[in-house]
Amino acid sequence: MSTRNSKPDVLQGTLDLMVLRTLETLGPQHGFGLAKRIEQISDGALDLNQGTLYPALLRLEQRGWIQSRWGASDKNRRAKFYELTDAGRKQIGHETDDWARTVALMQRFLRPAEKES
Amino acid sequence: MRTIWNRFKALFSNGRLEGELNEEIQVHLAMRADELRQQGMDPKAAQQAARREFGGVDQMKEAYRDRRGIPPLEILAKDIRYGLRGLRRNPAFTLAAVLSLALGIGANTAIFSFVNTLMLHMLPVRNPDQLVSLYKTGGWGRGYASYPLYLGFRKHTDLFAGVFARSGADKVRFDPGHSNRAEFVQREFVSGNYFEVLGVQPVLGRVFTGDDNRTPQAHPLVVLSYDFWRSRLGLDPAVLGRVLLVDEQPLTVIGVAAPAFHGVEVEHRTDLWVPAMMYRGQIMEPGMHWIWIMARRRPEIPRARLQAAVSTIMQQYLAGVYGGNTNAAFRRFAMEQKVEVRDAGVGLSELRDAFGKPLRILMAAVGLVLLIACANVANLLVARGSARRREIALRFSLGASRGRIVRQWLIESLLLAMMGSILGLLFAMRGERYMLLFVPAGSSDEFHVAPDAAVLAFTAGISILSALLFGLAPALRATALDPAATLKEGGTPSAGRGPRAGLRQALVVVQVAFSVVLVVAAGLFAHSLRDLHSINAGFAFQNVVTFSLDYPRAWETADKDRLRERLSARVASLPGVVSLSYGFPGPYLSGNWSSGIRVPGSARTAKEGVEVAEQGVGPAYFATIGSRPLRGREFDESDMRATRKIAVVNESFVREFLPGVPDPVGRVLSFDDSKPEGGEPTYIVGLVRDILHNGLRSRAESTVYVPFTQGKQGPLAFDPPLLVRAPLPPDALVPMIRRELRNLDPEVALVEPRTLRERIDDSIFLDRMIATLSGFFGLLALLLAAVGIYGVMAYAVARRTGEIGLRIALGAAPARIKWMVLGDGLLLIALGILIGLPLSLAAGRISASLLYGVQPNDPITLVSTIAVLVALGILSAFVPARRAASIAPIEALRHE
Repeated sequence: MSTRNSKPDVLQGTLDLMVLRTLETLGPQHGFGLAKRIEQISDGALDLNQGTLYPALLRLEQRGWIQSRWGASDKNRRAKFYELTDAGRKQIGHETDDWARTVALMQRFLRPAEKES
Repeated sequence: MRTIWNRFKALFSNGRLEGELNEEIQVHLAMRADELRQQGMDPKAAQQAARREFGGVDQMKEAYRDRRGIPPLEILAKDIRYGLRGLRRNPAFTLAAVLSLALGIGANTAIFSFVNTLMLHMLPVRNPDQLVSLYKTGGWGRGYASYPLYLGFRKHTDLFAGVFARSGADKVRFDPGHSNRAEFVQREFVSGNYFEVLGVQPVLGRVFTGDDNRTPQAHPLVVLSYDFWRSRLGLDPAVLGRVLLVDEQPLTVIGVAAPAFHGVEVEHRTDLWVPAMMYRGQIMEPGMHWIWIMARRRPEIPRARLQAAVSTIMQQYLAGVYGGNTNAAFRRFAMEQKVEVRDAGVGLSELRDAFGKPLRILMAAVGLVLLIACANVANLLVARGSARRREIALRFSLGASRGRIVRQWLIESLLLAMMGSILGLLFAMRGERYMLLFVPAGSSDEFHVAPDAAVLAFTAGISILSALLFGLAPALRATALDPAATLKEGGTPSAGRGPRAGLRQALVVVQVAFSVVLVVAAGLFAHSLRDLHSINAGFAFQNVVTFSLDYPRAWETADKDRLRERLSARVASLPGVVSLSYGFPGPYLSGNWSSGIRVPGSARTAKEGVEVAEQGVGPAYFATIGSRPLRGREFDESDMRATRKIAVVNESFVREFLPGVPDPVGRVLSFDDSKPEGGEPTYIVGLVRDILHNGLRSRAESTVYVPFTQGKQGPLAFDPPLLVRAPLPPDALVPMIRRELRNLDPEVALVEPRTLRERIDDSIFLDRMIATLSGFFGLLALLLAAVGIYGVMAYAVARRTGEIGLRIALGAAPARIKWMVLGDGLLLIALGILIGLPLSLAAGRISASLLYGVQPNDPITLVSTIAVLVALGILSAFVPARRAASIAPIEALRHE
């Protein structure tokens, strides 16, 4: 269990925010739509195993940031749709701030190193 | 919080969520495949590509599931499912274990229910722990005291916050007004402060106060119990002010007591409370012992001081009442009375007084039965643990921790214990009903022994305890292994008697030791009961029916005598009736009567009078109960009218007063004991054998029988019970008597028809009950031990197949092998007996007071117990031994 958790944790945080932001811009989406959109935006830079998306969705739902319901897709297929909750919308704010801080911090460490090389 | 709730929900909807997840994945894959197909890929390739992009479906599902539930609970649920599956796969094991436990737990629950009802239920009154009974001992009867003694204690407000008096709950006639059939209710006479001291409130109207109990016969009032109000009066709110005819006293209803309150007796439920002043007897007579004294003690006064103070008060009281009595024997007898302060928060119970010690011993016995059952299950579990070594080793290698596996085992044990206790509860309920059959019919009414919360908690408690007891050691044992080595061995443990085998053998030794204790106890009690049965009661008690008559209150003694004579004549002429008589107190009926006598010429009464038992009997009394005079004659009709005083005495009487006199007929005794040579003479006309009138366990006492009419001039002015000897089944005889009675006078009721045989059985009901139950528990112990021995031996043989095969191959005779295995089994038995015998001697000493005529170290019982256990050992080791002897070497070597 512990081995499984430690590595993806970094990725988890980023994936969560990606999903939340995507849902914020697109509105309700099914899992496949979300995966496609995230791949599109990352423009190939992110090699997402689409399957890893689902545990992330479950986690977000358990925290109450998104909610799900069954609906019909545009091809008239029954699919589970996810949408942002109010708590989720607030969480985007927090996480964006956190990310901004982390990025700023990391840049301070990374810049001198770049100069030296 | 929400996260936990969602996960918790998920725990119970696993199937549905799993389905949804699958569907979601399928949709995802289908959508991607559609897309790829539209881009021109062929369908099959599109599907494969979609799958590839998705990544490992199973890994993803596993990650998903991990998130879904609450891990510990999820694991628990999984363990329970796993455990149940394991138990289902092994029905023989499960059945044996559950049955063992059910018998052990059931026996405990049944006995505990009695303990609970008789000893643990607090009365539904205010602060029941402060209640005490002032229990009189010595003198005339135990427990019962006189009203003046109560008044003596009531003054001591420095010792008690309140003292009250109550009669026993007596069955009396109640006229409901609408039918002419007599009904009976339980009435209790109480002092005015009864409800106030107990702290019992009325639900309707009011309860008594001190003012309701001032003057004899001046307070015709009644308080109803809630149950009586509900069952007989339909909760009628207009009941206040109504007049009820109780025991032919018109009483005005003033209130209804709180619902849960049925009086202070455990085995009798009071319907009606009436002020003590309404009692028809001489209430202020100090020799009238008819009430129980109870009190609420002041918590600040320590027990020892209270008892000392009460004893002092009693001494002063006795000195005041009897100090001036000129009859020295009587005075000494009276002054020997004492009062014990006893806790009464659990209510008064004569059944408890009699039953307390036997119950404790039975409780210990069933405790042993449960331990034996636990040892059995532990044994089975150890065997299973060995069989599952490979599985356990595999789980270790796959990363399971030892704690996890032990926990999983304990859960399995708990499941077994739970199933065992459910089945055990059913057994217990049957068992209780069976036990209640032993309790004499008259000694209690509606005696409820139902599994209430306390009993259920007890059952749950012992089942969890036993699960730990039988589950923990095998679990630790089974998980203490080296996975790599075990897997290499292929799961079969190394041959020989390692420490692993030791645990099982130790368990069997313990089982045998406990069985010895139980079998010895069963033997002792059975022996004791047989001795009781073989007592010569002094008469032939078969084929005798006894009953009493209940007359209307207004009847004079002459009316009663007339009716009794007419009924006697009619019943005597019924077909099959051999003879009929009556007598007071009669055999096994209403107690004792004693009188002081002098016997002229006897050294025993030279200085002072001596109390002897007195019986007032009718004509042909001895013929009817199946005895006959050894010398002289018994009374006939004419004696009932004669004025000359005569008596029949028993052998004990002769031994005590006329030692060396072979024939007392013609000698004289006197009921006037004021002078050394007595007053008016009573002539002895006959000698009879000693008849045990007070139960088989009583000792024969010197008894003087007088004609009933002669006794009645003295204190024996009571209605005598009737005795009918007829070789007819009572079910046929009693209705015939009833019919005759109805034809004579429908107002007279026939009370308590019972055979003499039943009354004798009732007099030793405890002995019968203990002997039967301990016999049952002994058998149970033997059965469980046999299963245990068989299991261990069979397993040992299976494990040593290779070794035994080798021995046979090397020329060992099958008989030798058989004896080797049998010897192993007998060694265990011998060890068990060695440990068990001292234990059972100790147990025997504790229960010595319950035994009759047999010593706790009775050699016959001990030797036959050893014989039984050795036979059991041979029997249960025989099958494995025979199998060992028939092992074919080839097969055994292949097995290796």
